[in-house]
Formats: sequence, C-alpha cells, structure tokens
Amino acid sequence: AAGAPKPLPSSGPKSLREMPHPLATSSSEEMGPALTPSPDLLLPRSIADKDLSLPNGTPVDTSSPASSSSLLNRLQLDDDLDGETRDLFVTVDDPKKHVCTMETYITYRVTTKTTRAEFDLPEYSVRRRYQDFDWLRNKLEESQPTHLIPPLPEKFVVKGVVDRFSEEFVETRRKALDKFLKRITDHPVLSFNEHFNVFLTAKDLNAYKKQGMALLSKMGESVKYVTGGYKLRSRPLEFAAIGEYLDTFSLKLGTIDRIAQRIIKEQLEYLVELREYGPVYSTWGGLEVELSEPLEGVSACIGNCCTALEELSEDMTEDFLPVLREYILYSESMKNVLKKRDQVQAEYEAKLEAVALKKEDRPKVPTDVEKCQDRVECFNADLKADMERWQNNKRQDFRQLLMGMADKNIQYYEKCLTAWESIIPLLQDKPEAK
Amino acid sequence: MEDCLAKKMEITVSEAEKRTGRNAVNMQETYTAYLIETRAVESQSEGQCAPVDSLWRRYSEFELLRNYLSATYPHIVVPPLPEKRADFVWHKLSADNMDPDFVERRRIGLENFLLRVASHPVLCQDKIFYSFLTQEGGWKEIVNETGFQLKVITVIVCLMTAVTQKYSNKHLSGCLRFTELKHYSDELQSVISHLLRVRARVADRLYGVYKVHGNYGRVFSEWSAIEKEMGDGLQSAGHHMDVYAASIDDILEEEEHYADQLKEYLFYAEALRAVCRKHELMQYDLEMAAQDLTSKKQQCEELATGTVRTFSLKGMTSKLFGQETPEQREAKIKVLEEQIQEGEEQLKSKNLEGRDFVKSAWADIERFKEQKNHDLKEALISYAVMQISMCKKGIQVWTNAKECFSKM
Repeated sequence: AAGAPKPLPSSGPKSLREMPHPLATSSSEEMGPALTPSPDLLLPRSIADKDLSLPNGTPVDTSSPASSSSLLNRLQLDDDLDGETRDLFVTVDDPKKHVCTMETYITYRVTTKTTRAEFDLPEYSVRRRYQDFDWLRNKLEESQPTHLIPPLPEKFVVKGVVDRFSEEFVETRRKALDKFLKRITDHPVLSFNEHFNVFLTAKDLNAYKKQGMALLSKMGESVKYVTGGYKLRSRPLEFAAIGEYLDTFSLKLGTIDRIAQRIIKEQLEYLVELREYGPVYSTWGGLEVELSEPLEGVSACIGNCCTALEELSEDMTEDFLPVLREYILYSESMKNVLKKRDQVQAEYEAKLEAVALKKEDRPKVPTDVEKCQDRVECFNADLKADMERWQNNKRQDFRQLLMGMADKNIQYYEKCLTAWESIIPLLQDKPEAK
Repeated sequence: MEDCLAKKMEITVSEAEKRTGRNAVNMQETYTAYLIETRAVESQSEGQCAPVDSLWRRYSEFELLRNYLSATYPHIVVPPLPEKRADFVWHKLSADNMDPDFVERRRIGLENFLLRVASHPVLCQDKIFYSFLTQEGGWKEIVNETGFQLKVITVIVCLMTAVTQKYSNKHLSGCLRFTELKHYSDELQSVISHLLRVRARVADRLYGVYKVHGNYGRVFSEWSAIEKEMGDGLQSAGHHMDVYAASIDDILEEEEHYADQLKEYLFYAEALRAVCRKHELMQYDLEMAAQDLTSKKQQCEELATGTVRTFSLKGMTSKLFGQETPEQREAKIKVLEEQIQEGEEQLKSKNLEGRDFVKSAWADIERFKEQKNHDLKEALISYAVMQISMCKKGIQVWTNAKECFSKM
C-alpha cells in the first residue's frame, strides 16, 4: 500500500508531492495522470517497493525519488541532459599537499553548483582525498548494484617509480577524478544517490563514513557482494553479446595501450640521439668561418625539434594513456556487473524450477519467486539503459581522445615546420663582403 | 673556367652492371662495371645530336685514376671517390657492396667525381683523365707508363724517413698556414665522422617510431569490426596510420643523399690533408738538404784550416791514427767543393719548387674553400627542405586521421 512519501535526509519543508519534479514518486499508485505509464509498459507492482533487495539482503537504496527503476528511465525522453536541463555541476580542482605526522597526502577541492532540491544550498565546496573517492565508489557499487559505476584512476602506484607528488601525476589524477564525478553527475540515477550527495556536501565525511560502517555492522552484512552460488544455464543473447563485446573491447584497448607505450619509448630513444646530433653541428660551426652561422642555425633548429618532441611524449603519457587505462578498468567493472546480473537470473531460475518440481497449485506463483523475477527484470532494464548510455559516452570520449592524439601530433609537426622554415633564409643568406 | 672540360663535354655515369670475371690470381670474382657516356657539347647547339661515346669502367680503375692524379698534382686538393665500402649505415641499409641501393648511390658518386675533375681548372686538362673517359682499351698501360707509382713510393719513403727521424713541423718557419690547415682538416674529418655516425642512429630511431604506428592500423581495423557507429572512422583512420608508417622509407632514402654529400667532404678533408702532408715532406726534404749542405761546408772548412770544430769519426780517427797527407786533403776538399756546388744548386731549385708549390697549393686551397662553403650551404638547405617536406607530410597524415576520428 502506498504511504506518504518518505522525507529525504536533506530535503526542505516541502513534501515531495508539492515539488514539480518529473521523477518524483515513491510508488506507482501515487503518480499523477501525466505520469501514468502507458499500457504497453506493464511493470511489476513492486517498483520502488521497499522490499526490493538483493539476494544477499542488502537493501537497495530507495530513498531518492529516482531509485532504480526502469519506469523512470523510460520516462526520461532525453537520456543525455543537455545544458538546458542540467541542474547539477561538479568540478574537481586545486590539488593541495598536506603534511601530517603520520602521512603526507593530497586533497582536491570538489565544487558543486546545483538547483536540485535534494541539496540545501546552491553551492558547496569541500576538500576530498583519493580515499574518499574510493569510499564513494564502493558505496555506489553496494547501493546501486544494477548500474555501471564509472572507474577511478588506479589506486596504487609503485613508490620509487612514479612520484606520487609530482605535478604531472597529481594533474593526471585530478583529471580522472573530475571525470569520475562528472560521469556520476550525468547519470540519471547515480546522481541522486544519497552517498553521492553526502560526498559533495558534508564538512566531515569521516563521521558519516563511520556512521555507515556502524549501520552495516548492525545488519551484520559484509560489504562485499556475495555470490548466491547459483549457476546460470545460459546468458540471454543480448547480454552475451555485451559480454563478448566487452572482452574484445578491453583486449583491443590493451593492445592500443601497448602500442602507445612503445611509440613513446621509441620517441624518447629518438630524442636521446637528437640531443647528441644537434650539438655536433654547433661544434662544426666553431671550426668554420662562413658556414658558422648556418651550422649554428641548424643546431638550434634541431634543439627546437627536441623540445617539441619532448612535449608530445609528455602529453601522450599524461593525457592519452590514463584515459585508455580508465576504459579498461571500466570494462572490467562492467563485466562484473554482468556476472552479478547472471547471478540474479540464476537465482530466479533455480527458484522457479524448485516450484515446478514441488507440483504445488500452479495459478498462484509464490511471492518470493515473483520478487526474483522483478529483480531480474529491473536489473536487465537498468543494465541495458546504462549500456546504451555507456556506448554513447564511450564513442564521444574516444572521439575526443583520438582527435586529441591527432592534434598533438599535428602540433608537434607544426612546431618543427616553423623551426626549419625559419632557418631557410639564414642558410640562403649571402655573407656581405667583409 | 672557360676551357674546362666540363663545359665542352657532357659526362654521365649512366648505368651499372654486374659482371663476373677472373682477377689477377685467376680466381673468379663478381664486380660491378659502370658505363661512362660522353658527348661533345658544342655540336648540340647547332641542332645536331652529337654521338654518344661510351665505355665501361670498374671501381678499381677509378681508384687508379685518382691515385695517378694525387701523385701527379700534389698541390691540388683532388676530388675524392665515393666510399669503397658502405659505412655509417643504419640498420635497414645494407652494408653489402652488391646491394642495388648502394650501387645506385655509388654510380651517382662516381659521376659526381668525374664532373668535379672535369670542372677543375688544372685537372681537367690532364691527358690521362681524357683517355680515361674516351679510351676503353689499353688505358691501364698508359697510366702505368707515366711512372706515377714511383712518385707514390717516393712520398711513402719520405714519409717513413720523416717519421723515423721524429720530424715535427715545429721546425717549419712561416708555415703557420699549413699547420692551421692540417689542424682544420683533422678536425673536419673528426666532426663529419661524428655527425654521420649520430645521423645514422637518428635515422634508425626515427624508422622505429614511424613503423610502430603501423600497428595502430591493424588494431583499429580489428576494433572497428565490433563497433557500429565508430567503425568507419576507426577503419579509415587506421589506413592513414599505415600510410604514415610507410612514408618513412622514402624520407630516409632521400636523406641518404644528404649523408653522401657530407661523406664527400669527409673524404675531401683527407685530400686536403694530403696536400699539407706533401708540403711537410717538401719542407723536410728542404731542411735535410740545407743541413747536409751546411755540414759539407763545415767539413770543407775544417779540412782547409785544419781545425776541428765539430766532432766527427773521421776527425777522431785521423787524430788517433795520424793526419792525412796534404795531397789526400786537397783531393777531399775538391770532392767536397763539387758536392757543395751541386748541393747549392739543388737547394736553390728545391726552394723554388717549394715556393711554387706553396703558391699553387694555396691557390687551389682557396678555390676549394669557396667550393666547400657553397656546396655545404646547398647541402644544408636541401636538408632543411627535406625536413620541411617530412613535417608537411606528417601534418597531412594526422589531419586526415583527425578527420576520420571526428566522424566517429
């Protein structure tokens, strides 16, 4: 039975019903006429039901009005919020180093600008460290298991090989963290997640974290997702196709990563030789009289090309490789979500079979089997919607990435071209009669 | 330069052919023969096509010619031959003398050599050079008949003597120019060698960078197979990556010509050094002759006055075993006086020779300097032009790839 809408932790005095939010509902019966689903969108009644939970008992986060439900996804006509309808903006910038007795670490400023009612204020500015992002991601995975959670940049770096506090590393990480939050911001379900809200707004995140841990331990659940141990007979075609796609996709990305690394390596070795090559012209210039200036000119020119090449390699290392790796991580986490889906379906099929074997009165399907069916269908719907979004974003991201790579190479050649063109007049110059 | 041969005659080394034959010890060998074609220029202006004369020569005959010219004109900086064996190679180039690319570059180098000699104001008038170009049979015999090998041997003997006597050019006076020139030619050889070595390594590395990009072509193609909207863009971009990877072959082949131009001057430095060395030897010869004359004069004086000023074995023995008779002494003095006269004449002619040598050598060195400055400037310009072309190609390919990516 539909009750009064549950107040959100940080909502104002207005009740949900009064808010003209298109996704505002906590049960299908409370939907206004404008939001009545059309007959062909037959959905199980337990949408946004509080009982919706995962096989391991972890309650699905339903506190937001747009909790995981295919209805809401289908109602949204335009998946990609364009500039007009966007009401949440998040940025990560301003890295700062903190030196404490126990450790040294970096924090980033996370700035939020929003008109959403879920937020008390229109603007927030907090400082977060990598640990906090990691915590957020884990929470999202836990609470939104049917969705694809964006990846974080790699957690561990080999000390001694990479300088964790170098400008380049920090900047690369900052960009990745920014991307991470922006992807969540753009997601119609994830962006309304409670933990995300707290992450963006809380002054003291650690207190909230401890609270969460206490709750969890009360319920006696482990954080990790436990497989039900059911075996899936066969993956539905479309998910099998997704799985295969992801396998090949991450393989190809891995190959591209290796090629890009190899190119950078070869370029650096080329650079080493160039650095020896240029000065020899200078030495020669020292021997000559009339040829002195031309030879010096060539030497300087090669020096300029060296600088340009160094910049190209740096750019590729800092901008290109990390994004590739991000997508490889993304694929891996997506494959895990697929497996979870398989688990949910397997449980449903097993229970269904058990019922069939018991030869009970057939017209009434037991409620827990029904619930399993709900879970499967919700999961499938969420996943499909997320996949579509992911495919589109992926296309845009790679378009940008590869165009960027082409751009960097063009810029490199343009710098070299300028250098060589500028010395032609010097070389052609006739020395004046002395 | 009005009467230089290059103006009257068109000279080309137009073909190269593999031959097998028997060498001096009757062993079968494979070698390359080069076709030299010559055509008189004047008759062309009358609208007639002059007949082309041609003959085949192999590398060793070119070497013989050059050795003859070096020995016969020691005051001239004689143009060098292209390298005997492929040196300063980067990995893709073959070091094999039979490699077609090497043979082709050598053909060009030999033609260049002939043109250099033909446009030299002194060398172009040489009869042996002319017969090299025009007389197929019996040329070797004619060259040998000049007896130039003897000159070569003389130089070698002189050199060895100077070395054993630990002769250093510190003794030379007023020859600062040649000392400086020798120093310059040494440094030039050193710096060009270094440049060529590093350039070869640079070429090697650049080759690697370009070729690895070819792998993008393959993987983009494979990736495009699983994509719907992105597929076409990826596939066509991959094609451009293949084009990019392939472009390096032509780029580096062109750069070899630049390397060849540098090599010519590397070997020219050697020729320059040879002139300095000849000068050194002439100075040595002169000084030895002067010393010899001085000692003979001294001996004469001692015999005449009976005083021993310098230590000599003869002087000692005559002291120990008694003096000579006045008649013996007179005879000795007469012989010495004859020798002194001869020596003085020889010294005079050697001095003259020396001054002539310095004058003509320096004239050719000035000519060489101008030629070198001009040629190397041209070489640097063409190198810069090559680099510009390479950059433009790079921009083109990546712009094309970028467009393909934009359509993804």
